[in-house]
Formats: sequence, structure tokens, C-alpha cells
Amino acid sequence: MTGALDGLRVIDVSEGVAGGYCTKLLAGFGADVVKVELPFRGDSLRRAGPFQADVPSIETSALHLHLNAGKRSVTLDWRCPSGRALLRRLVERADVLVVCDPPPEIHAGRAVVTQVTPFGAAGRRAAWRATEIVAGAAGGYLGMTGDPDREPVKPYGQIVGYYAGLQAALGTLAALAVRDRTGKKQTVDVSVAEAAAFLVGGALQRSAVTGRAIERNGARVVGFGDGYHYPSTVRPCRDGWVHAHSHNRFPELLGAFIQEPSLNAPELLADRLGHADTVDAALDRWLAERDRWTAVAEAQEVRLPFVEVLNPGEVVDDRLGQHRARGFFPEIEHPVVGAVRQPGPPVRMTRTPWRTARAPLLGEHNAAVYCGELGLEPRDLARLAAAGVL
Amino acid sequence: MRPLEGVRIIDLTVAVAGPVATSLLADLGAEVVRVEPPFARPGTHLDVAPHVPGTPDRPYNRLVGYSDLHRGKRAVTLDLSRAEGRSVLLRLAAISDAVVENMSPRVIDGLGIGYEALRAPKPDIVLVSMPAFGRDGPLRDRVAYGPGIDAASGLSWLTGYPDRGPMNPANYYADYTSGVMAALATIVALRHRDRTGEGQHVEAAMIDAELQAVGEALLDYTMNARVQTRTGNAHPAMSPHGVYASAGEDRWIAVACEDDAQWRAICHTIGRPELARDERYADVVSRAHRRDEIDAIVSAWTRDRGPHEAAEALQAAGVAASAVQTVPELLDDPQLAARGFVHRVRHAEAGEMPHMRAAFTLAGAEVGPDAGAPLYGEGTEYVFGDLLGMSTAQMAALEEAGVARREHPG
Repeated sequence: MTGALDGLRVIDVSEGVAGGYCTKLLAGFGADVVKVELPFRGDSLRRAGPFQADVPSIETSALHLHLNAGKRSVTLDWRCPSGRALLRRLVERADVLVVCDPPPEIHAGRAVVTQVTPFGAAGRRAAWRATEIVAGAAGGYLGMTGDPDREPVKPYGQIVGYYAGLQAALGTLAALAVRDRTGKKQTVDVSVAEAAAFLVGGALQRSAVTGRAIERNGARVVGFGDGYHYPSTVRPCRDGWVHAHSHNRFPELLGAFIQEPSLNAPELLADRLGHADTVDAALDRWLAERDRWTAVAEAQEVRLPFVEVLNPGEVVDDRLGQHRARGFFPEIEHPVVGAVRQPGPPVRMTRTPWRTARAPLLGEHNAAVYCGELGLEPRDLARLAAAGVL
Repeated sequence: MRPLEGVRIIDLTVAVAGPVATSLLADLGAEVVRVEPPFARPGTHLDVAPHVPGTPDRPYNRLVGYSDLHRGKRAVTLDLSRAEGRSVLLRLAAISDAVVENMSPRVIDGLGIGYEALRAPKPDIVLVSMPAFGRDGPLRDRVAYGPGIDAASGLSWLTGYPDRGPMNPANYYADYTSGVMAALATIVALRHRDRTGEGQHVEAAMIDAELQAVGEALLDYTMNARVQTRTGNAHPAMSPHGVYASAGEDRWIAVACEDDAQWRAICHTIGRPELARDERYADVVSRAHRRDEIDAIVSAWTRDRGPHEAAEALQAAGVAASAVQTVPELLDDPQLAARGFVHRVRHAEAGEMPHMRAAFTLAGAEVGPDAGAPLYGEGTEYVFGDLLGMSTAQMAALEEAGVARREHPG
């Protein structure tokens, strides 16, 4: 069986998480993704830690192994004229070209061009710089995260960057649908700050309608008004934390279940979020006698959506066996790193399987792509390599 | 030309993640038909969210959460626990391209409207299921919403202050990431069907999409046996890096210094050019060692300035910086406005409502949001009458039997 995007050719000259995640998804769905990397230096993901055994190396970064999985790699300095000429030939044969900022100055032919930039390619702030924390701030997502008595806090890692990459993949598929039907050239202009804003979600509309600011609320549900059901929060128990959530249809279930009938007093039921401290105190009494696994098992038994707060090691160790049963963390063999377990498919399709494969070595596919597909001679490669183009 | 013109999708989703998926498909031009239960049910109509102020009549048509997540869709009601309701659904499936659902696996299979049932009338149908933990495995029957998936993925553990406990990122990342993932998978599956004639069952489990976004923490554990924890606003390779107090109540600015040249630019911008030559702060390693000093230097400048003014000055010098924008500010943000990020769309009973489009613009294609959310049962005439060819009498019979409703039960 082949992948759903089998036959789709993608050239990726982007750097960083957003472009990298976009093309990782396209590769997983079956597209042929060629990552075009600068000689010696490679994709910036290769130089971002953590590295295997904490020893920096262009082949052993976690972000690179994860996000470049399933792609091919060629080296090319597309900033010089002979490099640009080669890139043009690669793009001529492609369906999609993914770029960041600055994009290569080439004619993209019939390829959909997806450009991912911090604030978008158009608008007064197109030239503004951003990193994860700055894009999150600009999009309003950062300001909603954190405790009311402290500064706003950045969510873990580069989840805004990932989100922009996911949105870029969606935009790319939408543009391909139009190109395939109209034959017209398509461009996708992705803004990382807009991806952060999209994560604000319904709070934007709630704020517009009620005229209220949306205040950070710690682990508690954010941005809902009086009368919203509660809990939706993280509370401590004997061995860690539990995400506690009320039953959306039967708000009185929680009080009955944890034997705190006072929670079902009418004034409390009518405004649970307004009585969050009282709800938390009742929850804490119940949780203090239980560990995570017991608390969640008991709550789920009555269909209360409680979930254990797991650390990344516990996610992989998978005490409850969910990921093991689904084969979610396949062990992937890599010539430098060895066998490493990595996240598996985000999507499973009955007819078109996800492609699980390792990340390429820097320039691993130079010969296959330049000689095998573009028809260059091995001596051309040697000459270009000597000139620093490959 | 809209990207998904001519595509019809049946939307059986509830809560947030599923509706995020189908609202994006509607924005891209698909005709999305919501099939809702003919009785009032919290969660489906998001009637826990505030209402748009208005007359006391029909408040259920002015629910803010519903209005946002169901813009641009049609809506009918059908009781799928009854054979008559299922039979109408299957007739609708016969003229549709895809079905998106996020019930728990045992519910959809128990109702008898799973993939095998749906492909009987439409062999090339695409069914997209969005279970929380997966359609199989020991946790398949667990109930979880977005924040529960944030907890199960490690994201909540990793988010927060180093000296405090875990928290979810605001507004539930899992709902929004699995929602877009499911929309993407739907388009991918439809593309495959267009090329091969093959439909299929797509499983976009919320947890599986979410785990991608913490991939580096998972690999740090599988490669190095390190369990990462909360680091707040600190960055291992940047200093200054963080959120700094600005003039104004609860106002902040985010600043990230990516290299030494940017550090020198910061020194000049904040009127401390002598620091640019100071050996103690010359490179990122030394600055990271003196993180507290660096943060104090930056704060001394930011605290007397508005966050927007300070960000403009830093960006003019080539430094990544932005005001930590409040949600109301997004509605007036000049960059978002110039790019048409917020669409203002008229809703029949709630008035003009703001909706965010996806995080991209397409040159040469029209993309929504461009229509408001449907009123309760508003799509009945169109879907049952125009699409399925039911007569007025047949529609009345469905209502008489309680299988469908046009008027909310109140």
C-alpha cells in the first residue's frame, strides 16, 4: 500500500519548527519531501538541542530526528547563482515549495509556494522578527497562560511553531486543490503570530461580545464567564497531579461522586467557576487520599473526564499500555544515533498508511537527487562540492 | 474559486476539537451539514458559554461558543438512536463526501453508524473519527476533553513556572491541534479518493496529534533518559529571553535575543551602549550565567514604557520583541487587520460576530469564515427538502415522530 500523498513532490528550503513540521506531515502522508539544506551547516533544527548524550552534532538533535523524519536531504547553497540554478531545476519538477524568510529568488513554475514567516509576508510588520515567545505574545496566546499573580508564562517548547506548521500543511493542501482544478499558480502566506492567535480560540469572540478582558487563570479554565461549569483544572494528589474536569452534561455528578454534597448547593451549581476555590478545596480532600492512577480510574468509572498529569518519561513508559497496544512509539534505526523510539503517526488511515522512517543524514541524497533525477554527472557533483555549492 | 467547492461533509462532532475541524473545512468552501440531536444537550450546543445579549427569545441561537465553532455550516436535527433517524443519515451519506465525528468509539459503533454502515450507501465515503485516545487499546473508552489530552501528553507537566506546579497552556492546545490535524487528514483523504476512487476510515486520535508537538521532550527521554520539566520563560540559548513588566496595569513585553549582534542592538536601544562592550555580557554563555542581571537591565528600561512603544523600538533595531497582547487588542491589531485575519460576519439573530480565519492567506482562492452559524434546525428545508427530496408532509412526519425538530425544545 502507498501513502495518500504518494507522487506529490515537495521541495523544502525552510528552516525551523514550523516549516519542518509542515513537511514532516506531508512526508508522513506519503509525499516525497526533499529537504534542501545549506552545506555543512544544515537545517537550523540540526543545531538546536537537546542532542543525543548532550553532545552537539548535526545528526543527533531531537528536533531534527523528529521533524525531518521521512524526508530526503540534499545540500545546496541556493544563495549563490549556480546553487540557485540547481534549486530552480529541483522546483521545476515539484508540486510544492516550502520556504521561510528570506525566500529564494526563483520562479516557482507550477509549484504551490508555501511561505512561513513570523508575522506573514504582507503587512507593515512583515519584516518584524519573532521567536516562539515573541510570536506567542503577539498572538495573545502567551498572555492567557500563567498565574494571575505572576508574569505570563510561555507554554512548553515550540508549540506555537508546531501549530503554524500544521496550519501551513492545511493551507498547502487547500492550495493544491485549487491548483489541480484551475491550473493556476498558488501561494500560501502563513503567519506564526496568526497561528498563536488562532489558539486563543473562542476567547476572542467571548471578549468581543462581553467586552471583558480574558485573564490568565493558572491551571483553571480560561476566558469563560460566570456560570461556566467547573472544575477544569489541575490539582495535586498523593503522587503528583490530576487534570480534573466536571461532567458537561451532569454538573452535579462530581459532588455526588466525591461525597461533597455542598458542591451541589444551588448557588454553587449555578456558578461553579465563581466558586472555584471551594470546588478545589473539596477536590483536594478527595485527591489527598489517592494516587493519580486510582483517582482517574475511579472517576472514569462514572464517566468523569479526569486524566493523570504525566511527565514525558511517563508518557513513553506508558504504564496503562495504550501506546504499546497501538504501536505508537516505533523504534527507528538511524545510522548515527542507533535505535530510538519516536512518536508515531498522528493520523491512521485504513487504505493509505502513514510513512514512518528515519531522518536523513545531511546531504545523504545528493547523488540520488542530483545524478539520479536531475542527470548530473558524479564529476559535476565533485566540482560543485569543491566550490562549496553542495 | 474555493478550495473545497463541491465537497459535502456531514458533521457529527461535539465539544471543541471536532467543530474546529469542520469549521475550517467550511471556511475552505465545503458544504458542512451538522446533524444534531433533537433535544437540548449541553456540550453539543456549547450552552455553557455566554450568550450574545439580546431579546429573551431563543437565546440558544445566540450562544457565543456555538456561533464561533459552527460558522458557515448548515444544521439539522436527527435522533440517531432511532432507526428512522439513522435511515435519514444514511440517505444524506449517500450524497456526501465525508463524515467527521468525535464520539467515543463505543458510541458510534453502538449506534450502528460506523464506517461499514456509512459505506453501504456511499462506497467511497471518507469517515474521519477523532477519538480522544484511539479507537483501540485499553484507554479507548475513556472520556477526555482537550485539557485532559494536554495532561496525558506531557504538555501540562512541561508548562508553567519552574517553582510551581503544572498547568495547561491557555485554551487547550489539544482541541485546536487535533482539530486542524483532522481537517488536514480529511482533505488528504479526499484527494486520494479523487485520484483513486477509494474512500477510507481515517482515525485522527487527539492524543496522537498532540504528542507530535512535544516530540523533542519525548526524544530527550528515549535518547537520554532525561525527564524534562518546567523552565518557564527561560531559554537555554538566548539571554535576554522572557516577559518583562511594562508601564500600565498587568502589561508585559516579550523579548528574545538570538545572538550577540542583537544584544548589542538592545544595549543601544535601551540607552546603555557601554554594556555592548562589557566583557561580562559578551556572549550568550556569559549572559546566560548572569540571567538575573540581564533581566534586571532589560526590566529597568521596559518598566517605564508602554509595551507597544518598546516593541517598536526593539524591532526597529532588529530585535525580536512584541507586546504581550491582550485578547481585546487582537481585534484592533494593525498587522492582523492589514491581513484580514478577523472576519466580521452577520449572524441572523446575534448580529455581527468576529471570527478568526486560519493562520494563512491563499492568493487566488476565496476563504472564509464568510457566513454566520445556523439557527436551530435552520437547514431542515434545504437538507431534507432540497437535498434529500422529502416532501413537506414527509418532513412533518419526521417531526411528528420526534425524529427531527425545527424548534428547540427549550
